[in-house]
Amino acid sequence: MNAVYTLIIGFAAIYLGYSFYAKNIHKNIMKPDDKKATPAKMYMDGVDFSPANRNVLFGYQFKSIAALGPITGPIVAVQWGWLPALIWIIVGTFFIGWVQDYTSIMLGVREEGQSFGALSYRFISPRSRSILLTFIYFYLLLIMAAFGKIVGYDLMTNPAVPLGVLLVISIGLLAGQMTYKWKMDIIMTSIVTVVLAFVGIWLGTLPAVQSLFSSINGAVVSTAADGTKTTTYALVFGSVTRPQFIWSLVTLIICYFGAVLPIWRWAQPINYVAFWIVFLGILAGTIGLLIWHPAFPSDFPAFTNWSGNLCAAADCSGIETKPPALGFLWPILFVTIACGAVSGWHSLVSSSGTARQLEKESDSLYVGGGAMFLEMFLAILSLLTAVVGVGVTKGFAGYVNMIAAGKNAGVFAVGLSEMMAKIGVPTSFGLPYGSVFLTLMGLTIMYLVVRFMRVASAEFLGDKVSLFKNTTFGTLVALLISALLIYTGFWARIWVLFGGANQLMASLALLLATLWLMTNGKKYMWTFIPFIFMFVTTIAALLMTAYNLLKQVLTTPDLPIDKVIGNWLAGFIAIYLVIAAVILAWDAIKALMRLRTQVPVKAN
Amino acid sequence: MPALSFNENRFFIPDMTLKQTLSNTVKAIADILYGASIYEMVRDLHKERSHLEHLFILIVFGDLLGIPVLPPYYTLRLLPFVVPNISGWKRNMLRERDLTDLCDQEIT
Repeated sequence: MNAVYTLIIGFAAIYLGYSFYAKNIHKNIMKPDDKKATPAKMYMDGVDFSPANRNVLFGYQFKSIAALGPITGPIVAVQWGWLPALIWIIVGTFFIGWVQDYTSIMLGVREEGQSFGALSYRFISPRSRSILLTFIYFYLLLIMAAFGKIVGYDLMTNPAVPLGVLLVISIGLLAGQMTYKWKMDIIMTSIVTVVLAFVGIWLGTLPAVQSLFSSINGAVVSTAADGTKTTTYALVFGSVTRPQFIWSLVTLIICYFGAVLPIWRWAQPINYVAFWIVFLGILAGTIGLLIWHPAFPSDFPAFTNWSGNLCAAADCSGIETKPPALGFLWPILFVTIACGAVSGWHSLVSSSGTARQLEKESDSLYVGGGAMFLEMFLAILSLLTAVVGVGVTKGFAGYVNMIAAGKNAGVFAVGLSEMMAKIGVPTSFGLPYGSVFLTLMGLTIMYLVVRFMRVASAEFLGDKVSLFKNTTFGTLVALLISALLIYTGFWARIWVLFGGANQLMASLALLLATLWLMTNGKKYMWTFIPFIFMFVTTIAALLMTAYNLLKQVLTTPDLPIDKVIGNWLAGFIAIYLVIAAVILAWDAIKALMRLRTQVPVKAN
Repeated sequence: MPALSFNENRFFIPDMTLKQTLSNTVKAIADILYGASIYEMVRDLHKERSHLEHLFILIVFGDLLGIPVLPPYYTLRLLPFVVPNISGWKRNMLRERDLTDLCDQEIT
């Protein structure tokens, strides 16, 4: 199959899903009424509640939902072959993804802009709000671990990347200074800082800079008798190597500044500069792919095997650390690709952010559904970076080697650089560019997460332990817990847990939508069936992951100490999530039964 | 606080000339880029400003919410400036909140 056909299939799915299925539900079930005042108009305060143009909101919603999730998930899921991943991305978005995002916005709009915490309290049970908050906290912690490992273990350990990242961060700070202190024009600021950022990334690729960072990493290159070179690194503790230790620590320090400094000084201007790097990278990659239009490589299997075991599908004899099997296709695939098909975080952004800015009810489908369908396109593009970007140039064996080396995000960087090469960007620049792009995506999310965790701990524990109200203390605690999981966790399992916590939030959002539809006497099977599917799948995935984690720690002799700690921690998080989800299910059944048996109140 | 633009901007409306269609499309793409890049900065600044304003009103007119504040002479002098913001301020201060209110940022 040609890569362009995949994009055409994606566009066809977007057209059919948006124009027929989604519009039909929008018109005939939700029945938007533009004469009704939305919360944005009714409670307008110019801040949280403030009407905005539908196109502006579309851009805002898309940026809020699309980050590393839709990029990394499909690359990992290709371990079952590209076909199952592609089918889930399309079918998941078609029947569940947009449904969840759209109904979350409509719920927020119809329920006076209430947040999901308040809606869970009302529609399910008082304790479901607390359960949702714990899902959010663990979700954030798992993001820190999963993204922290991608950035600190994978991307930043490449000696061509760190200088570019550090310079782009400095240029982001300059952007803040130019905008807020020197009051310079935003267009001028954007042009100057983006050009400087490109120069910064290029500087990082110079041989002298790379050799400097290689020496910092402590790389030892040895040449075998047959001439093959291998690079090894000293271990700091357990199985953690020196570059992994150093760059994870640097990542956490960057997160510290992002979490304690005023938002306009650090997080916001860096995010702004990073946005242009990401946007231009995706644009260049898409154009390059269209010009290139390669066929899928014949050795890249559409389906490998049910257990996602790469070594059963390819020759792993030359690989020292064999990539473990991910697990059975159902349920693990469906949490491995969360963002890109369906993601619970979207429902929170939709209800707390977008629903309060919607000018008209009829805009909800374009903003909520449209942004989700566009994210599906991003996920397909990411899948293609692995299948054709890496597959055509390095073959299936190249993909297997990168996954075995823990270079999941690296697959995207390599694939994107190959696509950009078709419009004249040399891969010697494109590869570090792709890595810096992903690192910035990860970092911009991570310091927002630490900010969030700090506020959460101050809110939960501030009254009991007043120290948690202190910004620095709250941030350090969040970073310490994150560091523990980054240095000890096993990435593939952490990623599944992260997807699991995310999909549990998605289940909760779909459940809330179902209860709301039932309460209002509307058809509800289009949210109820996705809820059942997501809930059962996620519980099964979490149980299987917990079993694998605990089995590994109990049965593997001589497991490094970091992996022992990490497996126990991750295993307990998985078990906690399952218990909380079962309590939630019990309350949900009671709420559903209450609504089914409720006798309508008769008017006197 | 200035409200953001309200004008609707659809790509294709029947009977529209090619020039209008193109100009609408360019405007829509510009709006989408604005929404994905600068809009969040604008929101953050509005939030920052509203926090300060709300704090100020709380200090001067806290008794409107039942918080005893000594009624100084300046309160009456400031009243005309604060009146337009009082209803929004009250709603904002008394609105029930939890952590999910903070979830309007890019995290996934």
